[in-house]
Amino acid sequence: MKKLLIAAVLSAVPAIASAVDNLGGCGWGQKLFNGQSGIAPNVLAATTNGLFPNTFSMSFGTSGCAQDGAIRSNWKTAMFIDGNKPRLARDMSIGNGETLDALAHLIGVRDADHAKFNRAAQENLSRIFPSENAPTEQVLVALKQVLAEDRDLAQYASSM
Amino acid sequence: MPSVPRLWWRLLCLACTLAPAAAMANDYLNELIARSRALHLDERRQWHRLLHYSPDLTGPGVHGLADAPRFYLARDGKTNPRSELEATLAVFFSDVEETQQVQNPQCAFIARYRWLDNQLGFDPARMPRRRCPRFEAWRAALNPQSVTLVFPVAYLNNPPSMYGHTLLRIDAKDQDEKTRLLAYAINYAANTDEKNGVAFTIGALIGSYPGMFSMLPYYLKVREYSDLENRDIWEYELNLTPEEIERLLMHVWELAPVYFDYWFFDENCSYYLLEVLEVARPSLDLTSRFRWWAIPSDTVRVVLEQPGLLKRVVYRPSNATLIRHRLGPMSEGERAWVGELARGRAAPQSPEFAALPAAERARVLEVGLDYLNYLRATGRSPVAEPEPLAHALLLERSSLGDQPADPPVPVLEVRPDQGHGTSRLALGGGRRDGANFVELRARPSYHALLDPDGGYTRGAQLEFFDFAVRDYGKGIGPRLEDLKLVNIVSISPRNEFFQPLSWKIDTGWTRRRLASGAEPLVFEVHGGPGLAWTVPDSLRGNTMIYAFLESTAEIDKRLENGFALGAGASFGALTDLSARWRAEVYARGQRFFAGDTDTAWAAGLRQRYALATDWALRLDLSRERQENQSWNAALISLHHYF
Repeated sequence: MKKLLIAAVLSAVPAIASAVDNLGGCGWGQKLFNGQSGIAPNVLAATTNGLFPNTFSMSFGTSGCAQDGAIRSNWKTAMFIDGNKPRLARDMSIGNGETLDALAHLIGVRDADHAKFNRAAQENLSRIFPSENAPTEQVLVALKQVLAEDRDLAQYASSM
Repeated sequence: MPSVPRLWWRLLCLACTLAPAAAMANDYLNELIARSRALHLDERRQWHRLLHYSPDLTGPGVHGLADAPRFYLARDGKTNPRSELEATLAVFFSDVEETQQVQNPQCAFIARYRWLDNQLGFDPARMPRRRCPRFEAWRAALNPQSVTLVFPVAYLNNPPSMYGHTLLRIDAKDQDEKTRLLAYAINYAANTDEKNGVAFTIGALIGSYPGMFSMLPYYLKVREYSDLENRDIWEYELNLTPEEIERLLMHVWELAPVYFDYWFFDENCSYYLLEVLEVARPSLDLTSRFRWWAIPSDTVRVVLEQPGLLKRVVYRPSNATLIRHRLGPMSEGERAWVGELARGRAAPQSPEFAALPAAERARVLEVGLDYLNYLRATGRSPVAEPEPLAHALLLERSSLGDQPADPPVPVLEVRPDQGHGTSRLALGGGRRDGANFVELRARPSYHALLDPDGGYTRGAQLEFFDFAVRDYGKGIGPRLEDLKLVNIVSISPRNEFFQPLSWKIDTGWTRRRLASGAEPLVFEVHGGPGLAWTVPDSLRGNTMIYAFLESTAEIDKRLENGFALGAGASFGALTDLSARWRAEVYARGQRFFAGDTDTAWAAGLRQRYALATDWALRLDLSRERQENQSWNAALISLHHYF
């Protein structure tokens, strides 16, 4: 029913947040990915009330990356990658998946180019994700380069 | 959002400087007020819905459920619908300019504005229409096409999640099957930093936290429920018209800065979603049956009962469900590889692994990676540095290119909204220690181990206020046989991949035999940890066997020394002999070592035969020993769920 909110636990644990995500404070970062075990585990959850006290609150107004809780369109791709890195890397390694499909949509990949996009991501996984938790900006830049190198996908690189 | 005092100050100032305009506005306001009274708008259902008025328990009045003062424009707005309506009309004359910090009241209360406009037909010459750029931008960002009711299933290991949760998802126009993750979720939750699940539950039971609506990308909720908590999600796509969706969004916008006292049982996450849906479609009555408590799965049921409201259901299995599904058909060898690779004990480059066919390697790597991520998400990373390990698996899998995919996880036959009713009444009779009896048993919620599983989690028992009254006829006569305030059992089978702890806790009043032969009701608390397994296949077996360490504390002045403390164990096996027929054998013992000392044990066989979704037959046989007295008991009863 209710999500337990743990405010800024990881910001106090520098060792875990290995790469400082340089999204100007807009990233979801590592916060999503570490949980706890036990009979009554407290789940680390990112909701607008806990980790992001107001940034993503509706009717809060403007922040760098959101307006009244809605993510600005030029931040959407970066925020999506930031919040889904393990899943994205996984889908890329397999060559398909829901998370990868969502990324393709954000970039604007047309249906006809979808298979190519998936293949390009799979073949260049080590460039896009040189480490599993590469900084989001690095992932974006690498992905852009990979697209730019393909004749059919280059059009999408410029829109990223 | 302007605070109310500030707003009124602005209006006052306006009145000072623009007296003639204010007088004109006043005239029109009076006209509108007069017409609203003539139409009895303050009595209309939609006005009450927008203000979340609820009938008082005693007396004819109402009270608004919202607790934030900013929600009420009249000083007595919380209890006076007419006063609130007239104050609302008044603030619509404000010419406050919209900024990032404040909105004009026509925008801040946009759903009220729209409804009152529809009813009264505001004259723009006398009450200028304000544009609402922030609301319009927000709505444009949502780009709404349809609304989905999302239900992450019940999760026993976190008290606030024991009944599941519901949230809304706003599906966008450019969204399709593959891009649901990009939608926005609207969620009502208690706003607190409380980290402890038990402490939170207690706080929520007494309404000590404010509840608020929030919005965030659906993909974050999916990561949370699916990957971190490993809860399946059911997505119920609804058939709301564009106009209804507009009303819903306008009202959510109004509610954004507003808090409601969050009450665990009744005014919880699921309840307020129903109220929001009622605003969207005024003809709906979803909340009146939830006077005392609102269980999330029941709120889903009531929505689905509305003709034509459900468009489609989508099942989203959690990470753990997917892993289990893929491990099931694997050979012993493949499973071993999954475990070894995920734990970093074997390298993907090893020659033995490379010798396997590519398709098999792909499958093993995929499941291995998902399993490694499962371990990390649940705080049980197998190595100190899991990132390089995961990365190695990722790279190895990507080098294999496209490979045939496993079939998707089959959608469960019985959805959470299709299971047995959450309340139960049972009528039965039997014989205990030589005395015949008839029994009436009742329970408001939720699900017991022996209840039919469809729509629920096998092995997860959650019961509140289960009690039985028996009439033994001559001799003992009628009596309250037992009352369990709460009775939770979590039997989670272990295997080489998943090693959850089982546990149980219950408290209430139970009959305790004394040396004299009397059987008073004594208060007890009882519980402990346990382990469970499925047999014969550790991953997919039908029979669950369990073992618990249990301790008991009993308090009653009739006990020797007024109390008893005991420790012991229980064992059992639970199996489905057919789709309808479940049986459980059990044995338990407690050595009461302090207070009223005793060695007590019990053993028995319980059976349930499901006649229909909401009807079942039970047959329980047992033998018990307390205070050196033994007796047998047998009970047959008919259970009805509703």
